[in-house]
Amino acid sequence: MDLSLILNTLMITTLTILIIPIALPLLSDSLKNSPTITTNTVKTAFFISLVPMTIHIYSGTENLISLWEWKFIMTFKIPISLKMDFYSLTFFPIALFVSWSILQFATWYMASDPYITKFFTYLLLFLIAMLILIVSNNLFILFIGWEGVGIMSFLLISWWHGRTEANTAALQAVLYNRIGDIGLILCMAWLACTTNTWEIQQLHSSSQMPTLPLLGLILAATGKSAQFGLHPWLPAAMEGPTPVSALLHSSTMVVAGIFLLIRTHPMFTNNQTALTLCLCLGALSTLFAATCALTQNDIKKIIAFSTSSQLGLMMVTIGLNLPQLAFLHISTHAFFKAMLFLCSGSIIHNLNGEQDIRKMGGLQKMMPTTTSCFTIGNLALMGTPFLAGFYSKDQIIESLNTSYLNTWALLLTLLATSFTAVYTIRMTVLVQTGFTRIPPLTPMNENNPAVTSPITRLALGSITAGLLITSYILPTKTPPMTMPVTIKITALVVTALGIAMALEMSKMTQTLILTKQNSFYNFSLSLGYFNPTMHRINTKTMLTGGQNIASHLIDLSWYKLLGPEGLANLQQTAAKTATQAHPGLIKAYLGTFALSTFIILMSMY
Amino acid sequence: AKLIFTISLLLGTTITISSNHWIMAWAGLEINTLAILPMISKSHHPRAIEAATKYFLTQATASALVLFSSMTNAWYTGQWDITQLTHPTSCLILTSAIAMKLGLVPFHFWFPEVLQGSPLITGLLLSTMMKFPPITLLFMTSPSLNSTLLTWMALLSAALGGWMGLNQTQVRKILAFSSISHLGWMAIIITYNPKLTLLNFYLYALMTATVFLTLNSIKASKLSVLMTTWTKIPPLSATLLLTLLSLAGLPPLTGFLPKWLIIQELTKQNMAVAATMISLLSLLSLFFYLRLAYCATITL
Repeated sequence: MDLSLILNTLMITTLTILIIPIALPLLSDSLKNSPTITTNTVKTAFFISLVPMTIHIYSGTENLISLWEWKFIMTFKIPISLKMDFYSLTFFPIALFVSWSILQFATWYMASDPYITKFFTYLLLFLIAMLILIVSNNLFILFIGWEGVGIMSFLLISWWHGRTEANTAALQAVLYNRIGDIGLILCMAWLACTTNTWEIQQLHSSSQMPTLPLLGLILAATGKSAQFGLHPWLPAAMEGPTPVSALLHSSTMVVAGIFLLIRTHPMFTNNQTALTLCLCLGALSTLFAATCALTQNDIKKIIAFSTSSQLGLMMVTIGLNLPQLAFLHISTHAFFKAMLFLCSGSIIHNLNGEQDIRKMGGLQKMMPTTTSCFTIGNLALMGTPFLAGFYSKDQIIESLNTSYLNTWALLLTLLATSFTAVYTIRMTVLVQTGFTRIPPLTPMNENNPAVTSPITRLALGSITAGLLITSYILPTKTPPMTMPVTIKITALVVTALGIAMALEMSKMTQTLILTKQNSFYNFSLSLGYFNPTMHRINTKTMLTGGQNIASHLIDLSWYKLLGPEGLANLQQTAAKTATQAHPGLIKAYLGTFALSTFIILMSMY
Repeated sequence: AKLIFTISLLLGTTITISSNHWIMAWAGLEINTLAILPMISKSHHPRAIEAATKYFLTQATASALVLFSSMTNAWYTGQWDITQLTHPTSCLILTSAIAMKLGLVPFHFWFPEVLQGSPLITGLLLSTMMKFPPITLLFMTSPSLNSTLLTWMALLSAALGGWMGLNQTQVRKILAFSSISHLGWMAIIITYNPKLTLLNFYLYALMTATVFLTLNSIKASKLSVLMTTWTKIPPLSATLLLTLLSLAGLPPLTGFLPKWLIIQELTKQNMAVAATMISLLSLLSLFFYLRLAYCATITL
């Protein structure tokens, strides 16, 4: 049986099916798109994409399709080549599953929106761009997908464009992503000049791989995946509707940067500088984000920071030279993070738009399904044994502990893990337990199947995904098999410490003591003072520099002072001085004549 | 009376031009000086009298210096031939004397005031006829002259003519400084190719005569008056524009020809720096020519 033919056909079919709801309404006026059509399309695509994944698991088939070729210049050809290997074949079903659940949820969440069809079209466009990015074999096609997800992110974050914060958040997202794009273009240019190809499988690592293209790739990942330095856009992106946050900013778009690093991994293996940079950057990102999440009061911001923290953890894994483990974490993270966002969406809508966790409480009894799945998601996030998060997160921390790399990165990551537990427990306690702080007349109804079935589906995925994926995939690098007991249970101990501390501290909040100003609290609350300092300083420098060069230097100095006007002023001075030398006194004139004659005779003799 | 003065003027010029002996040349110069004095002071205005006085004093000094230089040469070489003026001191003194007669810097101070004090036709005679004999003398002694001195004087003339002309509103003074500037051009080339000096002088005389006669017809003596003269004889204002631009030396007008040839000759003689400098300094005079042209032709 020709498995590769089936694999190819079904993958292309998946992609084509997704394009149909967008393409057909353009061709004929009577065919209209609707939210249910979009949701069903994605559901169908998901089921179809399961078959190629199964084929891959069963027989290890991988494929590389090369379609038309763009003869850019004679010696540099850019084909449309799609690579169906382990990464793309596994990510397709996961992405489609998560998207299906999110779209189904969005039919309830955005039901009162007049442009709901446009919203779904945007989400579908985003999904197509993301899948193009995943399945590309070629940095060119990847760049198409990369830019596509960037633009759709901008459009979706500013969905409620009447709100200024939404507009500025969208602009922030685009600007920070653009800075990352510089890195990607740098790498592409270097590759085009040096190795004359943009194909992924032709990227090899020589023993002395220059660091420049790798720095470009790391910059691209920093921009897209919100590592420290280019991170402010991710919390700001929570201005978009919850389905957008769930799809883009938790499971799919933000992992594009990490995915790029996974794809181009052969280039990184030999360059220890780049790997250490990834390691330290990831460690810093994960700790910083976790610190910021400790004091946030908006439920979506807490989950956003936790996404940022997990992305840092993925970067750490890349830095440990374990791309497959990073991919595993991407996959498991998609499930529980999307579910956390959907649960928060359900809570927000049911509380009539309330996003502040200080105004929620005791929801366990009022919204049982949502809050149970919320708890499952939080436990998976913390790395509770045998839920989805455990398989990837614990393995990462074990590898970090048993490697001979940076201790500082290790300490930061462990600290971040405990912080994860702290803010998760805080969120859970404040949202679900204790006395309720919601207003009395709240129309709370979570019994809509459009709400409960996606959330429960994703909960199922959060529980089982880790086990399923690790059971069927052979690791390409041997995981550490033996280690001392303390090392083995480090992650668990650290998490448990975090839980204990959080529970203890949350009891303290019920005793009425006036809190003193705490600089650590202020640091966490103001997100490390990063936004005010960097945003103001950078823009002011650039703008004043521009004004200095254009206006002061060129216009005023060159043109007025030194250039033409300066010359004119010089002539005026000369004319005035010369006029003063002609007073009209004949005696002076005759004296000048005599003196000049005398000088001529003396000097020319 | 006017007839006597005109004939004396012609006589004096002819005597100097056609002379071979220094005494004859000096006599001609003196006749010229004396003949034009009454023409300058015709109106008996204090300004005119002052101009006449200044003119007389300066020209007398210059003539004395001419005589002195020729006597020194006669003492050393024993002959009075104009073309055989070979003694270096004589050449230097003669150069300064002729400069005084012509109005080259640093001997130019008298010229603007004299021109301002005299009527326009007399001014024309001062600028063209009275310059002819000294230039002839310079032409005849040109092989022995010191080129460094002449170059310096020429450059300074062009510079000072330009800068001073910029600050004037009286048309006659502007023309005086333009004359000084042109004399600079004439002086710079005399040791290399004296024919070009003569060419420059002839063309300059033609153009200046045009300007003076035009100004005389429209009776303009100040820039402010010049601005309202377009109503009198409009075509004349138009031609005045072209004449002024020709004086400035813009191609394709006639005034460009001597400048071009002079620059070419200077470059051939390895004097490229001097050529560049004198061209750049002429830009200053271009500005006041343009100002004159603007005032005369741009109707309000």
